[in-house]
Amino acid sequence: MAAQAALDSYRVTAIIVTHDGALWLPETVAALASQTRPIDQLIAVDTASKDASKQLLKSARIQIINAERNCGFGEAISLAVDSMKPSSEEKSEWIWLIHDDCAPASTALEYLLESIQERPQVAMVGPKLLGWHDRTHLLEAGISIAGNGARWTGLEPLEYDQGQHDGIHEVLSVSTAGALIRRDIFEEIGGFDLNLGLFRDDVDFGWRARVAGHSVLAVTNAVAFHAQASATERRIVDVAGAFLHRPLLLDRRNAAYVLLANSSWWMLPWLSLQLLSSAMLRSIGYLLAKLPGYASDELIAVASLIIRPNLIFKARRARKAKRFVSSRIIAAFIPPRWSQLRLGVTAMVEKVKVFLLPSSDGASGSIVDSNEDDDLLVPTKNLQWFGVLRKPAVLGFVVLAIFTLVASRNRLGSLIGGALPASPSGTHDLWHTYFESWHQVGMGSTNASPPWIALLAIAATVLLGKAGLLITLLFLVAPLLMMWSILNLFKHFTTNYWISVPASFLYAISPVAIAAINSGRLGTLAVLIIGPQIPLLLRHWKLIELHSWRRIFGLSMLFAVLYSFTLVSFIIAFSAAAIAILIDYLSFRTEPNKPLFLGRLYKRLTVVFLPLLLTAPYSLEAFIYPSRLLAEPGISTAGGDTNLVLLANPGGIGAMPWWLVSPVLLILLVSLFSSSSARTIAQYGIGFLTGAVFFSAFSISAHGNSASSRVWVGSFLVGATIAAATAGVVILDRLREVLIASNINFRHILAALLLLLTALYTIVTLGWSISAGANSPVQSNSPTVMPAFLSVENETKILVLREVGSEGTKAVQYYISRGADIELGEPDVAPRQIPELVAAAQTLIDGTGITSSKVLASYGIKYVFVKTPFDPTVIQTIDGLGGFTRASATSAGVVWRVTGVIGRLVFTSDSGVQEILEAGEVGARTLVPGAGTVTVTEAYDRSWQILENGYRLPRVRSELGLPVFTVTEAGEISLIHDGTIRRAWISLSLIIWVVVVILALPAGRRKREISEKELA
Amino acid sequence: MKFKNSFISLGILLFSFIAATILGATVSSKGYSETYPAVVCPPTLPGLSSAISLSSKKTRYQRLSNRSSQTVPFNVLRYPVIKDSLVITSQGVTPVDWQSRSGSWAGAVLCTGPEQTQWFVGGRSDVTSRGRLIVVNSGLSNAIVDVQAFSEKGKQPLKSLNVKSKSYAVVSLDTLATGDRDLVVHVVPRSGRINAFMVDEQGAGLKALGGDVVNSFANARKVLVIPAVPNQRGKGKTKSVSSHTLRIMTTSESGASFTAEVLSSDGRFIPVGFSSRALAAGKVIELSLAPKISTSSFALRITSDQPVVAAVSSTVTTNSHRDFVWSTPVEPLEPMKIAITGLSPLVVVAGDAIAVKVEVTLINGKTVHATIKGSDIATWRAPASARSLTILQTSKDTFASALVISINGYGYFPITPGSSLTRVEIPHSNIRVLNP
Repeated sequence: MAAQAALDSYRVTAIIVTHDGALWLPETVAALASQTRPIDQLIAVDTASKDASKQLLKSARIQIINAERNCGFGEAISLAVDSMKPSSEEKSEWIWLIHDDCAPASTALEYLLESIQERPQVAMVGPKLLGWHDRTHLLEAGISIAGNGARWTGLEPLEYDQGQHDGIHEVLSVSTAGALIRRDIFEEIGGFDLNLGLFRDDVDFGWRARVAGHSVLAVTNAVAFHAQASATERRIVDVAGAFLHRPLLLDRRNAAYVLLANSSWWMLPWLSLQLLSSAMLRSIGYLLAKLPGYASDELIAVASLIIRPNLIFKARRARKAKRFVSSRIIAAFIPPRWSQLRLGVTAMVEKVKVFLLPSSDGASGSIVDSNEDDDLLVPTKNLQWFGVLRKPAVLGFVVLAIFTLVASRNRLGSLIGGALPASPSGTHDLWHTYFESWHQVGMGSTNASPPWIALLAIAATVLLGKAGLLITLLFLVAPLLMMWSILNLFKHFTTNYWISVPASFLYAISPVAIAAINSGRLGTLAVLIIGPQIPLLLRHWKLIELHSWRRIFGLSMLFAVLYSFTLVSFIIAFSAAAIAILIDYLSFRTEPNKPLFLGRLYKRLTVVFLPLLLTAPYSLEAFIYPSRLLAEPGISTAGGDTNLVLLANPGGIGAMPWWLVSPVLLILLVSLFSSSSARTIAQYGIGFLTGAVFFSAFSISAHGNSASSRVWVGSFLVGATIAAATAGVVILDRLREVLIASNINFRHILAALLLLLTALYTIVTLGWSISAGANSPVQSNSPTVMPAFLSVENETKILVLREVGSEGTKAVQYYISRGADIELGEPDVAPRQIPELVAAAQTLIDGTGITSSKVLASYGIKYVFVKTPFDPTVIQTIDGLGGFTRASATSAGVVWRVTGVIGRLVFTSDSGVQEILEAGEVGARTLVPGAGTVTVTEAYDRSWQILENGYRLPRVRSELGLPVFTVTEAGEISLIHDGTIRRAWISLSLIIWVVVVILALPAGRRKREISEKELA
Repeated sequence: MKFKNSFISLGILLFSFIAATILGATVSSKGYSETYPAVVCPPTLPGLSSAISLSSKKTRYQRLSNRSSQTVPFNVLRYPVIKDSLVITSQGVTPVDWQSRSGSWAGAVLCTGPEQTQWFVGGRSDVTSRGRLIVVNSGLSNAIVDVQAFSEKGKQPLKSLNVKSKSYAVVSLDTLATGDRDLVVHVVPRSGRINAFMVDEQGAGLKALGGDVVNSFANARKVLVIPAVPNQRGKGKTKSVSSHTLRIMTTSESGASFTAEVLSSDGRFIPVGFSSRALAAGKVIELSLAPKISTSSFALRITSDQPVVAAVSSTVTTNSHRDFVWSTPVEPLEPMKIAITGLSPLVVVAGDAIAVKVEVTLINGKTVHATIKGSDIATWRAPASARSLTILQTSKDTFASALVISINGYGYFPITPGSSLTRVEIPHSNIRVLNP
C-alpha cells in the first residue's frame, strides 16, 4: 500500500506524438490504456498525419493537439507541455513521452516511477527498448553518442535479450520513446532543442540535463517495444530541416550538431576532424555498397553545419547559460574509441565467418536442442588421426606436396633462371618499377609496367616485403594451388573423389605445369592456377544473360588479373567472344530478340574489353607493339615446335622431353566422339589446342630480345589440359557403370589403354621430375652474371657480351647493363634496340668497329664486359680495336674501359670541350659552367626536361637518338623526367578499378528495403 | 550428324598443324658477318732487309706505330720494309714477307692475322745463337704475352711480356733457355692482338752460319705433314749436300711414340730409326735425317700417339755460303690466295692423291691456270712474273709449302691462309644475357 501511495505521489502526463503512425497506433494506445499504474493524463499531438492516425486518436477519446506537418518532435512536445495546466496538487509532475510506434509494456510506467522514488536527482528515466516484431531483440537500454557522431547503445547488432543488461543504470540519455521526464526540469532547461526536429534530441536533452546537475537513468524492468519507424524509413520524415526528407542526413547532421553544441571548446577541432573523417569513411563505405544517396547524406550533413556555424555558436551560448557542472562529467558516458573498434571488428569477423563457414545442418546444435540421454547411449567414436589420410583428397595433396618438395629441392631459395629474373630485395623495388615513368633498363624506356608487378608487390607486402620469398613460395606451392583450383571445378562434374583427385593430380603434373615451373613462367603459372575458376564462374557462357552484371564485373576483374600476367588470355577471350557473338547473331537472325541479343553482346564485350581498361596502359601499348600480345612475363625464351605442342607439351627450356608423351591429346580425341557432355568439353579443348598449334609457328621479338624466338603457347595449352582433364573426369564418372553393364567391346579396350597410358605417363613424369627435371633452368642461389666490382659505380652503363644458349645452339648476344643483373619486371619494360648501338656492338665483335668505342662512349657506356666462356678470337679482336683499355680479366670475364668522356650527363661547351656533370639515378640538379649543350645519355623521350632559372631549355634529338639541351648561360640546372602521363594513367586505372570493384561488390540495402523481420 | 562438330574441330586442328609446320620451318633468325682480319708483317730488324709481296697495288696498310685508323695504299706490288711492322688489310690475300741478311741468309714468312697460340720449332739458345723472337701487338690496348720455351733439358721458366699497344718487343732467343741447343717456343697471348715471329740466325764468332725466319703453326697434332724439305744433292756448281735434322717434342705430359715417313718422288718410306720412336714429355730432341733420295725436295709425315710439334732444319749452300732452312708443318690445303710477287716459288704438294687446281695472276694482270697432280709428292714452279697464286680446288688431305731460292739463301713458307675469313654471327640484343 505504501508503494502504491508513493506512486500516487506523481502526476504523469503521457504525450503521444503521431505522424502517419496508424500502423502502430492501435497497439500503442492499447498499451497506454493497460498500464498497471494508470496514466493521469494523455495528450496527443498530431503532426498533420495523412493516414488514419487522427481518427484512431479521436475514437480512443484522446485529447488531440494539431500541429503542422513539418513540426519536429521537440516542438510537438513543447506544444503539449504548454497546453498542460500547472498541477494544483502537491504532486511531482512528470511527462511520459510516447512515440506513435512505441508500445510500452503494461508495467513500464510502474517500474519507471518505482525507480525514481528514492532518486530525487533524476530528471529523465527511460525503459529498455525491445524490437517491435522480434520482442527478444534488444534495441536500447540507455544511449550515448560516440566521438564520430554514431548513436551508441553498447549493444551488439541484433543482440538477444537474456537479461544481460538488466538493472538500473546511470546513462547519458535514454530514447524519447518511453522517456519519463520531470516537467519542471524539462521546462527549466528549455525542453528539447528545436533545431533538432527529429533524431538525437534525446541525447542532447540528456546531455543538457546532466550538465545541469541532474541524473538520467535507464530502468530495464520497464520495457517498451519500438518500431523505429522514422529511423528505418518506414515513414517519410517531414520535419523542418530534413533536406529531401532524408532521415540519415538529418540524423548525421543532428549528431554533429549535438557534439559541437555540447562539447568543450578545446575539443571542437578534434571533434570536427573526427566528424569529417568518419563522414568521409562512411561515404566510401556506402559508395562501395552502391548507396550513393547515403554517401551524399554523410557529406551533406557535415557540410550543412559547416556553412551555418552561427547555429552552433547560438546553441553553445544557450547551453552555457544553463550549464551547472563541467562538461567533463559526460566523459564517463562517451564510449571509448577502442570499444567502437572492437564492436566493428567483431561484427566484421562474424560476417566473414558466416560467409566462409556456413554452419551445416546438425553440425553444431544448440545446447537447448541437445538430448543429454542420447549422449549417454551413443558410444563415443574414437577418431584415429591417420584416418584422414584415407580421404582421397588429403592423400592426393600429401603425395603431391611430397613430390613437389623432392622435385623442388634445387629451388629452395631465391629463384632465378629461365624466363625468371632475380627477385628484387623488397616490395619497394617492385612498387618503384611499377610506378616509375622512366625505367633504367638498357638505354632506358618509358614502356608501361605490367600490372602483375603491382599484384606481386601487394602479395609480397603480406610477407613483410620479401619479394624473393614470395616467388619461392609461389613456385613451391603452385602445384598444390593448381590441384586445389581444378578440384573445385571437378566437384561440379563428379562426386567421386577417387576420380576427381587423381585427375587434379594429373593436372598439377601436366607437361605445361611442369614446364611453366621449370622455366620460370609466371604468366602460365597464373593461368594454371586461375584458369580452372573461369569455367566455374562462367558456366553459362552461351547463355550469358543468366549471369548477373555483378558477376560480369567480378569476372572482368578476374580476367584483368589474367591479362596482367599474359595478354594471351585476351586473345583467348576475344576469340571466344567473337565466336559466341557470331552464334548469337545467327540465332538472332532466325529468332529476332533484340533485347536478348544486345544484353548478351554487352556482357560479352564487357568481359573481354573491360579488363583491357583495368590493365591500361600496359594492355593498350600491346596494340602498338603486337608481339607483346603473345609474350609472357619475364625473359623471352623460345617455346617448343609444333609437333611438341600438338602433344600438349609447350617445349622450350625446362620442358619435358618429347618422348614423355602426355595423354592430353588422346583423351581429347576419345572425348570428341563421346556421347556425353565430355564431347562439348573436348571441342573447347581442341579449340585451345588449335590455337596453341597455330601460334607455335609464330616467332616474336619482345621483352628486350631483338632476335625472333618461337612463341611460348603455354597459356593455350592450359586450356587444352583443363578441357582434357575435365572430359576425362566426365567420361570416367559414368564409364564404370557402362562397362559393367556391357560385354567386352572396344570401350573396354580403349578405357584400359587410356588408363594404362595415363598411369605410365604419371610414373615416368614423377621419375623424370625428381631426377633430370630437378635440374631445371630455374634454380636457387645461382651465381650472378655481373661481377660485383662492376656494381660499385652507380648507374654505370656496361655493354655485356655473352654466349647464350645450350650446346649447339649457342649465339653471341649482348645487352646494356646498369651494373647488376636484371630483376623482376625489367625485361617487360625493356626498350627496343637502338640501330646505332646495334651497329656498334656488331662491328665490335666482327672486328670492323673502328668507331665502336666512340659510339659506345656517346651513349654513356663506360665498360665492355665479355662474360666467359667466350670465343677468344673476339676477345682478341676487341683488344685490337682502338678505344678499349683492358680493365680486368678474371674467371668471370674480361672487362674493357671505353675511352672518352663518359657520363650520364655530358656538357659540351661551344668550343667543343666536354665535361661530365653530376647526375643522379634519374633526375639531377647540377651546375653548368657556361653556354653549350647538355647531353643526357639516355634514350630520347619527350618527358626529359632540363630547367634553368625556372625555364625549360630547348631540347633536340641527336643523331644517335639522345636528348640534347641547349644551355645559354652558366647556372644551376635541374634534369627531370616528367612522369605526369604515367601518373595520370595510374590514377585513371585506379578509378576504373574502384568503380568496377563497387559494381562487383554486393549492393547494400536502404533501410526501407530491409524487411521488418530482419530489423526486429 | 551426331559428330559433325567433332569432325569440324578435328579438321581445323589438322589444318592448323599442317600450316604451322610449314610456317614454322621457315623461321631462322641467325645472321652472319664475314670479314678478313687485317694481317701483320714482321718488322725489319737492324741489319736485315725485307720486302713484302702483294697481289694488288691497291692493298692498303698502315705502319704499326700509326695510332690513327687511316690506311694508305701500297701502290707497288713488292714493298720494302724499312723498319716498322705493317698492318695490312689484304682482304683474304696472304702477303709473304721476304727477309734476308745480305750475303748470309734469306727466309720467308707469312703475314698473318692475330693468333691465339703459336708454336715455333726452331732457333737455339746456345753460344751460336743470334736469333730473336719478335712479339708484335697490333692492337690499341696493351698486351700481356706468355712465352714458354722448351729445350732438350725440358720445360723452361715461363716468361711474360708486357707489350704496349701498337708496338713490338724483341726477345733474344738465348735468354729463353740459356745454353741450351734445341729450342721450341710456345707463344700464348693473354690479351691483345698478337703476332709473333722468330728469326733464327746462327754464327760462330764472326762467321755467319746462316739463318732463317721460322714459320709458326697453331697447334700440336698427332699427324704432322711437312711438305717441302729442300734437299741439295751435290750436283751442279755448289756440289753441296743437304743435311737434315728433325727437331721434335711432344706436348703430352706422358711422353709419346712417333713414326716419321718420307714422301718423295723416289717413294714413300720410313727412315731407319724413325719408326715408333719414343719421346720424353716436355723434352726437345733432334734427330739426324738422311734419306737417300734423288729429288730436290721431299716431304715428311709424322704420326704420333700423342700431339707433337716438329720441324726439319736443312742445310743448304747458296753462292758459296752456308744457310739453313726451317721446314715447318702446315694445315691441309684449302682454297686461298697468296701473294708471291717477285718470289717465283717452287710449290711442293704432298698427299696421297694430289689434284690441285691453281690460278696464277701475272704482273700484267693475265691469269694462268694449272693443275698439280701426282701421288705422295708433286712440285710446280710458279712463273717469275706471277703476283699471286690462287688455290682454286684441292684434293683431300693435301698439304703444300713453297721453297724460294735467292742469292742470299733459301726460304720456306707454308701455303696456308694468313688471314681466314672470320664468320661471326651477328649478335642480337637480348636482355637474357643479364640473367644466369
